[in-house]
Amino acid sequence: MATEELVLKITGLKTNFYTYEGVVLALDGVELFLRRGDTMGLVGETGCGKSVTARSILRLVEPPGKIEEGEIIFFDSDDRSGKITPIDLLQLHPEEMLHVRGKRISIVFQDPATFPNPVFRIGTQIAESVLLHQDLSREVVEMKIGEMRNSLTGDLPEERRSQVVEKIRYYEQQLDEPPEPDDKDKKKAAQIVAEEMLKLVKMPSPSSVMMQYPHELSGGMRQRALIAMALVCNPEILICDEATTALDVTVQAQVLNLLNELKKEIGASIIIITHDMGVVAETCNWVSVMYAGTTVESCATVDLFANPVHPYTAGLLTAVPKLHDTRERFPQIRGTVPNLITPPSGCRFHPRCDYCTEICKKEKPELKEHRPGHWVACHNPLS
Amino acid sequence: MKLRDFILRRLILAIPVVFGVMTMTWFLSYIIGNPVAMYINTNTPASAIPAIRRAHGFDEPLYVQYFLYLSGLFQGDWGISTSTSFRPVTEIILLKFPATIELSMIAMIFAIVLGIPLGILSATHKDQKIDHIMRIFALAGVSMPIFWFALMLKHVLYFQLAIAGLPHLPGGERYTLIRYLSFKYTTGFLLIDSLFFYGDFTLFVDALLHLAMPGFCLGYLTIAIITRMMRSSMLEVLREDYITLARSKGLTERVVIYRHALRNAMIPTVTVIGLAFGSLITGAVLTETIFNWPGLGKWAVRAIFSSDLAAINGFTLLVAFIFVTANLVVDLIYGVLDPRIRFG
Ligand SMILES: Nc1ncnc2c1ncn2[C@@H]1O[C@H](COP(=O)(O)OP(=O)(O)OP(=O)(O)O)[C@@H](O)[C@H]1O
Ligand code: SF4
Ligand SMILES: [Mg+2]
Repeated sequence: MATEELVLKITGLKTNFYTYEGVVLALDGVELFLRRGDTMGLVGETGCGKSVTARSILRLVEPPGKIEEGEIIFFDSDDRSGKITPIDLLQLHPEEMLHVRGKRISIVFQDPATFPNPVFRIGTQIAESVLLHQDLSREVVEMKIGEMRNSLTGDLPEERRSQVVEKIRYYEQQLDEPPEPDDKDKKKAAQIVAEEMLKLVKMPSPSSVMMQYPHELSGGMRQRALIAMALVCNPEILICDEATTALDVTVQAQVLNLLNELKKEIGASIIIITHDMGVVAETCNWVSVMYAGTTVESCATVDLFANPVHPYTAGLLTAVPKLHDTRERFPQIRGTVPNLITPPSGCRFHPRCDYCTEICKKEKPELKEHRPGHWVACHNPLS
Repeated sequence: MKLRDFILRRLILAIPVVFGVMTMTWFLSYIIGNPVAMYINTNTPASAIPAIRRAHGFDEPLYVQYFLYLSGLFQGDWGISTSTSFRPVTEIILLKFPATIELSMIAMIFAIVLGIPLGILSATHKDQKIDHIMRIFALAGVSMPIFWFALMLKHVLYFQLAIAGLPHLPGGERYTLIRYLSFKYTTGFLLIDSLFFYGDFTLFVDALLHLAMPGFCLGYLTIAIITRMMRSSMLEVLREDYITLARSKGLTERVVIYRHALRNAMIPTVTVIGLAFGSLITGAVLTETIFNWPGLGKWAVRAIFSSDLAAINGFTLLVAFIFVTANLVVDLIYGVLDPRIRFG
């Protein structure tokens, strides 16, 4: 895949957890690539390492976890010039990483009940990111002009009116080169930006939600608030880690639709982590399948549903129930998810694979372009 | 609006508790001895006793006595302290309370100013050297009996240094008696009096030096309790999802800890602080005795030794009120710290 299209490229990512039971080899050479403007689904059974991958990208893996090796290249594009600079996130100084988190790459987590901070107002929590990452000098001037304009609508003596008009003109001149605003104005402007964001995520009555605490909102509203927090600084990449799993089905659909719409609005590339193939079919144009800490298949969504090439993906897809399904029993992949402390040698899927050959037990298959636009990690791909 | 309702509700809830305590002390004075004992001592002529009985209503039926007792309490008649030259209990409490409060406040300041940062430090450096040191320090604090610690402290920082002719901390009293003779208090709080009413800075420093040892000694247990509480609740909070969210926003570790984690971790710690304040007053009994501190604790000890029932009752009531007030304040701080509580 041509690198100029990519916005994120992960190669050979290994992350371990050092637990009392032993070293959990949670990620063992994850390979992912995300094209600019794509929505990629990241799927796999529970425990296969989707969340750990997401956290590794932002270097949010907490002890006892540790990212051991690999490359996570983020192709950062400058907002103004459009110039693209590749950055290896794993080599970045921790302080520089702070400028990536929440600003260039943000994440929406699984559980809207536990992720917002219970003791701060929603508005404060969104505005916090704005204050942290945005310059706001222009917004402050715009805010002042807005305030002036508002005062014009009221009853003003002629003399005062002309003063205000004069002031507006003065501020409008500042717009090209806005001066450094003071903290109070900045905070006010951040609140306005935050409220705009709540409107964008279709939060009902956004101005009152600004002043509310997380426990006063419903699950769907909280999830919208979390999405607003993630999107408020216009990130290049948005990672949604099972952002809809904890919600009931109708709310889930609403949030997914919202993401689809927002994508057009903000132009971010999105990674949707899920184990719901239906979600992938509806929202993603690209999909990567993970198994036990490795990437096993990666291709366009239509391609995956039509022609899965990896035995695991094929099994996964036949296990998805369909409407008018007449099957009495759903086929399942035999065996169980491997223990990641002592994972199977070679291909981690081999004990469960019907196509397993000698080489599979010894050698780990690499992710290769099996046919144009379809990557697979298997010694004996299906077709 | 909501906060006001919350405060009102908590205040109303405190009323039965206060009544309960008053009833309990009344009941106990019957169990321990004859309530007339509150008003007499060994020098009272036997012939005067029936008159005293009548004067205080002790020959009335029990329920009348109960109401007399309650109305007495509300009117400020808490009995006569026989061990303190027959002066009214309320008068002595008013006189000695500031000394105890001043000492407890200093202890509390020690506890909060040291306990909270040490707890945070311990949590953020979990299992590192600094954490181990903190934990030993805290363990010592909760397991050392206060009187032993007080004696040791006094022995080393006062006796030994004084014997060696080195600069040392004062070993007792609120100020250097020889230098200031009998100081006329205005508010009773020496730090405030010396600075604001007399403008005597050397006396202020003298008072601070006198407070240092008993204050730390009294506070050590509380420092230890707060450190431990802060450490464990901080560790718990740092594992919460909203901390991950805060980190994912790109906030610095400092902001994550001091803005996002601290406020949440303070919620359980505040309870402990409130309860500890109540126990500081009782802890003062030992500390004041050892450091010869002219406060309520020392007075209560003497009252116990001379079976001064009114004084004991008065002290018990006072401690109970302080506990109730401290709990009330804790509840209020809770409501401020945790928005979820106001609706609970
Ligand atoms: N804190 C931890 N300590 C030890 N092991 C961990 C920890 N976090 C994750 N792991 C291990 O990493 C593996 C991957 O976990 P991860 O949370 O990424 O799974 P997932 O694919 O997101 O699953 P789910 O669909 O249930 O969210 C798991 O097998 C788990 O054992
Ligand atoms: S590499 Fe071998 S064991 Fe692994 S999926 Fe392919 S065929 Fe099966
Ligand atoms: Mg997960």
